[in-house]
Amino acid sequence: MNVEQLKAAHKLLAEYRYTPAKLDRGYANKSLYINLSENKIEEKVVTETMKEKFIGGKGFGLWYLWNAVTPETKWNDPENEIVISPGPIGGITQYPGAGKSLVVSISPTTGSVVDSNVGGYFGPLLKFSGWDALEVQGKAEKDVIIFIDGNNGLVTIEESPEEAVDSHLLGEQLTEMFADNEEDKRNISVVSAGTAAEHTLIGMLNFSFYDARRKAVRLKQAGRGGIGTVLRDKKIKAIVVKFRGVKGNLNNVADFEKVSKTGIKLHKEIYNGDDKQNKMRLRGTTFLVGIMNDYDLLPTNNFKFGSHPKGKEISAPKWVERFNYTGKSDGCWYGCTLSCCKVMCDFELKTGPYKGQKVIIDAPEYETIAGVGSNCGIFDIDYIAECNFYCDTYGIDTISFGTLTAFLMECYENGIINKEITGGLELNFGNKEAAMELLHQMSRGEGFGKIAGQGVRKCKELFIKEYGADANFLQDIAMEAKGMEYAEYLSKESLAQQGGFGLANKGPQHDEAWLIFMDMVNNQLPTFEDKAEALHYFPMFRTWFGLVGLCKLPWNDIVPEDNGLTDEPAKVPEHVQNYVDLFNGVTGKNITKEDLIAQSEGVYNFQKVFNLRMGFGTREYDKVPYRSVGPVTEEEYLSRQERYDGQLKELLGMDPEGMSTQEKMAALRKYREEQYEKLCDAVYERKGWTKNGIPKLETLKRLGMDLPEVVEVVKRYL
Amino acid sequence: MKKLDKKEELCTACHLCEQICSRTYFKEENPKKSAIRIEEQPNIKITVCSQCGECIDLCPAQAIYRDKKGVVRIRKAICAGCFACVGFCPEGAMYHQGELEEPFKCIACGICAKECPTGAIFVEGEAT
Amino acid sequence: MIKVNGKDFQWEEGLTVQKMLEKKNYTFPHIVIKINGKYIPPEDYQTTIINKGDDVEAIHLITGG
Repeated sequence: MNVEQLKAAHKLLAEYRYTPAKLDRGYANKSLYINLSENKIEEKVVTETMKEKFIGGKGFGLWYLWNAVTPETKWNDPENEIVISPGPIGGITQYPGAGKSLVVSISPTTGSVVDSNVGGYFGPLLKFSGWDALEVQGKAEKDVIIFIDGNNGLVTIEESPEEAVDSHLLGEQLTEMFADNEEDKRNISVVSAGTAAEHTLIGMLNFSFYDARRKAVRLKQAGRGGIGTVLRDKKIKAIVVKFRGVKGNLNNVADFEKVSKTGIKLHKEIYNGDDKQNKMRLRGTTFLVGIMNDYDLLPTNNFKFGSHPKGKEISAPKWVERFNYTGKSDGCWYGCTLSCCKVMCDFELKTGPYKGQKVIIDAPEYETIAGVGSNCGIFDIDYIAECNFYCDTYGIDTISFGTLTAFLMECYENGIINKEITGGLELNFGNKEAAMELLHQMSRGEGFGKIAGQGVRKCKELFIKEYGADANFLQDIAMEAKGMEYAEYLSKESLAQQGGFGLANKGPQHDEAWLIFMDMVNNQLPTFEDKAEALHYFPMFRTWFGLVGLCKLPWNDIVPEDNGLTDEPAKVPEHVQNYVDLFNGVTGKNITKEDLIAQSEGVYNFQKVFNLRMGFGTREYDKVPYRSVGPVTEEEYLSRQERYDGQLKELLGMDPEGMSTQEKMAALRKYREEQYEKLCDAVYERKGWTKNGIPKLETLKRLGMDLPEVVEVVKRYL
Repeated sequence: MKKLDKKEELCTACHLCEQICSRTYFKEENPKKSAIRIEEQPNIKITVCSQCGECIDLCPAQAIYRDKKGVVRIRKAICAGCFACVGFCPEGAMYHQGELEEPFKCIACGICAKECPTGAIFVEGEAT
Repeated sequence: MIKVNGKDFQWEEGLTVQKMLEKKNYTFPHIVIKINGKYIPPEDYQTTIINKGDDVEAIHLITGG
């Protein structure tokens, strides 16, 4: 690779010199603003009010984006922004999972505001370079890279015509280009998308970090909501940050000893407990595949079923055989001893433009395995790994690609689309060759791949309009809500999880709440009030990770040995206290666990109002496809007949004897749909919203989120 | 492999080694800044690095290495201060203290062993 | 009959916690078991007998990516 040649082709468009701010209690107190239409680079002051009300991370992203756009702004308008922010705790090295960045933008698939979280080194290095957030607005004329040098205080915008677009190549080229030597590579992080992000709406962002032991660039993904598509629409090839000198207290925290002690306590807990609990260090999130299959929760054939006899073929033991275990530090930021990000080395690609090459793959996560694997009826780990690689390098969200392909396969099997429409792709469940070709077409911007790349919602609309598909049936089986493809859990038997997906501000993503065990298995949420309380607490608790720059996994994928004996094991009380201590240790404030929830509530309600401002956010947008609620087809009903017949008897007091399957399905559907509506009522009530899902003025006031511009939006709906 | 070895049955828990260690490396007498620790309850126990090297692979910054004499050492300049090594040390012999941004451990210098009145601690493998 | 997480479950002579977990296909690694409110540590699953009419909780700690 001759990076000198690539670099020689760069043309400097703008340059900005600054004195990097020394961090104070987790904040740089400055943010970086870049406008690519005007080649303008500026700094902004992060105010005390911003820190008080929006905390950081996703909160800062939402606030900056709110100020950047109007209700009419579309995702591909120049005023749309990509905002990246790590949050005040982000970048500490002592507590596992503290390297997260939160990305916010107007989404190509939902049309509204979306947020996505991602690991890798970018967020911490950005902050150590003196910036609490990076806002990128405008559009470049030709492909550019943005380069931030945090040691020398330099930001540049450079035309970069010759670098690759696909992330696995681009990440390597830019790491090589900007590092002074091999040792220096760990100080570089690259944000990029890929060729398919250009031609589809489901593009994602890769955030890199350099794996010094394997001497390879690794990629973590901000997958949801199509932000990679926004990146390429702005003609950004990459955003590169360079910062040398990561140490233990660059955040200049208020109480280093408190932060350190809290971190060491968790390191010890992981050392002693991980082998007995989820074995994250060995298996990563792949451990979930077998579990979900056992509990009938693993999406199979477009969420029709929750398990498959071949589920074992794609579960953890199969992956463990193929993982590379060089060293024992597979964290995506310093100090993450939970080490969930696993690696496959020397994987020989069988298809596509890089066929025959041996590559390193950031090994599939649970969501990817379920999405591109079981949900498409494919139980082949080589396919899943290769699909994962190509999704990553092409800049495609594996969750959206999986759910989308599964939907297309069901449409194909029902004759809604055919070979003529797909250009010869036989998209039956299980056809991995066709699925892979679909992905390659997305990269090339050709054929049916280009059409499919618009996402489930637009495909659904197209099939109804152009191919005369039954609108009701498609509405039922198209697993999207708000325009976003569903994440990979079967929610049919857990009403609380139906709400967890359906009521999420950004779309059906499980990072809002994951309540299936509490609700369906443990039966801990018997009443609507119980479910509403859980759908208040857990989304708020999880939102908080995105405000401060932390990963969710160390919260409950490892727990203290005595956690089961606490009052509320599902909350992991000791870890909640850890987070309170971390926040206070970093910022010097003195919040309680209740304040933590209130911090999230303010930002959560702000995001809700943001949706309203963009023309969404009312009750009708919380509707979900019936496939996520109950059996759509006879095939599904009959496959779990005993369960469903039993429910008719127990819950509805009906005698299924003598009823036709259609009658039984109709009765069950009526019941389940009513339950979902009642759930919405209960949750809105608990959250302090009207029956139409609008935050009440007193709620906003209680949370200190009654900013004039926020109240003005809400008043239009009250 | 050079390491500080121990005969716990000879230890009288005079704690002199702790004082010497913290004085040598931190210029103060503070048992919490000693790389060797003596517990008296329930039985006398000497905790000190066995130079097993488990922490070497664990360190995300690759700041921990084994030197020519076999002693496991920390390159402070590139240590990212995550203290993973403290939490994962099988002996509990990697330490963190207060505001110190890097962990510390026994490097088998033997200064404490020279002063130990009973010979309960001594340096092994000096020649290699 | 016994109750498992509030729902009826068929009881049989000699039913241990371990057998109950197997019958329910509860393979999740982190489950807290209580019988009539009393905590049963995992090392006792093989030997702890569930009696007719017992109220068993098998609390799966929340997870999800």
